[in-house]
Amino acid sequence: MRRSEIRRQLRIRAKQIVVQRDRRFFVNIEKKDLKRVIRRLMRMKNYTHLSTITALETGSQIEVIYHMAFTDALVSVKVQTSKDEPIVPSIVDLIPGAALYEREIHDLFGVKFEGNPDLSPLLLPDGWPEGVHPLRKWWSPDRILSKLGGRR
Amino acid sequence: MTFEIPFGPQHPALEEPINFMFEIEGERVVNVKPRLGYVHRGIEKIAESRNYQQLVYLSERICGICSFAHTLCYSQAVEELLGLEVPERAKFIRTILAEMERIQNHYLWLGLTAKEMGFETLFMYAWRDRETIIEMLDMISGKRVNYGVNTIGGVRRDITESMTERIEKSLDHLEARAEYYTKVCTKDPSILKRTVGVGILRPREARALCAVGPTARASGIARDVRADEPYAAYGEIPFKVVTYRGCDVASRMYVRIDEIKESIKIIRYALKNMPEGPVRVKASLKVPEGEAISRVEAPRGENLHFLKSNGSVKPERWKIRAPTLANLLSLCRMLIGVNLADIPVVIAGIDPCIACAERIALIDVKTRKREVWSGKDLWRYANEWYRKKYGL
Repeated sequence: MRRSEIRRQLRIRAKQIVVQRDRRFFVNIEKKDLKRVIRRLMRMKNYTHLSTITALETGSQIEVIYHMAFTDALVSVKVQTSKDEPIVPSIVDLIPGAALYEREIHDLFGVKFEGNPDLSPLLLPDGWPEGVHPLRKWWSPDRILSKLGGRR
Repeated sequence: MTFEIPFGPQHPALEEPINFMFEIEGERVVNVKPRLGYVHRGIEKIAESRNYQQLVYLSERICGICSFAHTLCYSQAVEELLGLEVPERAKFIRTILAEMERIQNHYLWLGLTAKEMGFETLFMYAWRDRETIIEMLDMISGKRVNYGVNTIGGVRRDITESMTERIEKSLDHLEARAEYYTKVCTKDPSILKRTVGVGILRPREARALCAVGPTARASGIARDVRADEPYAAYGEIPFKVVTYRGCDVASRMYVRIDEIKESIKIIRYALKNMPEGPVRVKASLKVPEGEAISRVEAPRGENLHFLKSNGSVKPERWKIRAPTLANLLSLCRMLIGVNLADIPVVIAGIDPCIACAERIALIDVKTRKREVWSGKDLWRYANEWYRKKYGL
């Protein structure tokens, strides 16, 4: 796969396409274009599956990365959402296999996936306090522990 | 009448504690809902407070069976960030060990699936043969599991000539055994009755649910990271991606048995063509800023590690996606429509590890009467059901 192919397929929707190395592409897009971009990538030749979804903190933002696997590349689509009110459109209607990945991120980062019919806890135990998103940097192990009423 | 059955968190057919809520109508499963998290150890959180060298050992402990696949995946990601070129010989050793691990895993799987079917002789046979490959792994690494061979920049153990001879001898034995298992699993009527047409996952569903590894390959999808994105020495070694079109538990069994044979060929080729030279290069503790994604075909399917570095000795974010999570939705799809008696063998189909005594509770929706079953009860029920029906 080449950069120009992705560029042509996504037209103006990609803010930036980074070729990190052979077979590795990072595509930065706007949140509102997410579903369109995913749909377009799915239509491309050699698309195989969605490998996973990663979330991470970048300063005041939360970045959600969709790793789309092709037989000849891995295209990672990045969207940003605010940390205070993280909402991203869900893609389960396009890729049913994304359901668990979205639930995992909902648990650990508190990102809401709009349109996902089931965001019940997948990893966190029953009775986990509201608003504690364990993979966010602010929630250090000590903070989580004291919130849960435990001690080291 | 619909029954709801909570299955797990401790249950007989999967290595990790996981909970399935089954809705059944008579004997048939009509709906399944999974629930995870019973062994969530927070490895991704721990990783943010450890340095890159320590994380090699942590990644080794993500999984007890495919530990090599995880360290390989992690090391590759760090090496990419460091811009390190791993010596050729190390790449071959990594390939050999990864394939040995695959053989080990597939024999383990075959044994456990046989046990779920109530075929205990095959279980004993498969595990006896697994011992052969474990001894070879022990010889190379000094350990039977969690080999500790991978490190950032190469491998910590070399394969000497005398080792090569012993490995080749054991491969001959394992190949003969794999042929034998092909014969048993394609001819034995009780295996065929329990597996053919059971736990169907159609190719379209497998694609939509993003299935990986042998689970996808048994539905006719040639999805294999080794072929799609060659890492280590896979680019230089000819091999075949095994696929079957049966979409059932039987196909999942044939895919794995054939993969054992294919792995044996890969190891033979790699041993013969292994280049001379060093097996590791030195890696610095500090890792430059950047992001890397590494993919590895673990025995159970695609393994993905995403690593983001902030330029210090500790990673900013390390994301791990193991194959079981990717196959979980496919498993739920397979389970819909199967008989209660087939649940263990279908769950086993995507890859179990330890079959401990666990429990299952049956609730009558109308009366809310609860009946608690142990793993043994379910297992006995399943085997008796088949015995009565087919006289097996």
